[in-house]
Amino acid sequence: MVRLRSLALLAAPIGVALVAWSCERQPNALAPTIGTPLAHFQPGNFVCTPVKMTGGGRIDYPPEQTEKNPPASHEYETFGAHVMGSGQQDANGVCLADKGALEWVDHRPEMEVNGHPLNLHATEVTFAEVATDASCSDGAVHWGGKLRVQNTGESDLDFEVWDCDNGEPGVGHDGFAISVPAIGYAVQCFTVTPADPTCYLTGGNRQFHPTH
Amino acid sequence: MNIDNFRRAILAVGLVLPMSWTAGSVAAQTARSFGVSVSTPTINQTATSAILPPGGDMVTNSGQSIAVGGLATAQDAFAIVSGGADPTYGSSAVSSATLGAVNLLNGLITADGVVAMASSSIGDAVNSNTEGSSLANLVVGGVEVSDPAPNTRMDLPGVGYVLLNEQLESGDGATTSGITVNMIHVVLQQPILGLLGEVTGYQTVGDIIVGSATSSVTR
Repeated sequence: MVRLRSLALLAAPIGVALVAWSCERQPNALAPTIGTPLAHFQPGNFVCTPVKMTGGGRIDYPPEQTEKNPPASHEYETFGAHVMGSGQQDANGVCLADKGALEWVDHRPEMEVNGHPLNLHATEVTFAEVATDASCSDGAVHWGGKLRVQNTGESDLDFEVWDCDNGEPGVGHDGFAISVPAIGYAVQCFTVTPADPTCYLTGGNRQFHPTH
Repeated sequence: MNIDNFRRAILAVGLVLPMSWTAGSVAAQTARSFGVSVSTPTINQTATSAILPPGGDMVTNSGQSIAVGGLATAQDAFAIVSGGADPTYGSSAVSSATLGAVNLLNGLITADGVVAMASSSIGDAVNSNTEGSSLANLVVGGVEVSDPAPNTRMDLPGVGYVLLNEQLESGDGATTSGITVNMIHVVLQQPILGLLGEVTGYQTVGDIIVGSATSSVTR
């Protein structure tokens, strides 16, 4: 019995150490090579740490701006998005996402498919890496996976998003951008942006949680 | 201290410490949105709604074509809610409802783009807002209405009245904060008649709400 107690006393600190180690930063993680290069979100500055980003919002693109377009123009996009990762890498160094979701609606008339707004729906979120980007004060995440175009049924399309929590409120501070290379679709801003290639939110909020 | 006392001490800490964490971890968030809701004595229906469950991250719903009781039709409705509660780094909730063409009461009210968006966050600062909400090409009783101010009221003779961009705040602004925006809220009324048939007042007999978003957070 005494041996068992001793074993338990020894095992406890080891367990605590293991948990602490699992939460430690593991730099130099890489996302899968898909779509556009990562050169715009502070190249090379990504780490694989526990992270969670939640929220949604509205972007009025184009043009690149912080104000809403006239409502009658219908030149805007709305979305909800969240991602969570525990800072684990696979054998290729990809920083894995534990779970996530993306619902994206592009209301622009020129993007309509058969008379309906373009609707992108993530079917899988595979990676999430934290960008050590000083211009997003609360936190920034580059993440992505696979999505389906709800209007056409096209699926298994790679997507990536750039996600920036730049203080409160989200409007006029936070940023978001998306790219789906297989269909040549991107909403990205490079001149009016909290952090390239994100576009300022004109509604909603992004909330960064540096936790499991 | 012998080993048994040491074990009792560890046990006590192990039991009491988590209880203290629970007591301090009351952070919470709520978010819900819907495209169309009709409530009358004969109809009680909400179409395209999303409600964030406790501990949930995101919920979506959509409908290409909505028709409720001959009172409301709408195209391309999307309801999206997302949020996260975090006692350390702050909590946030965002909800949105978007619609394309909307027609209420056989054309009495029309619009071709509705966005209801509510956002609440609590952390270093407390904030709730409806930024991002908008109405496109809104026509009420034949009158074009552009960018209505919060809680704009217009009478609808024989029907009741409509509140445009209706905003309802909640919370104390310190430990709780929340807001609801109803972009089009028709209040259906009937006259109350006196003994001689004169109108003595009006009673509300129903509601039609198009584009509703609610968010709230608790520290």
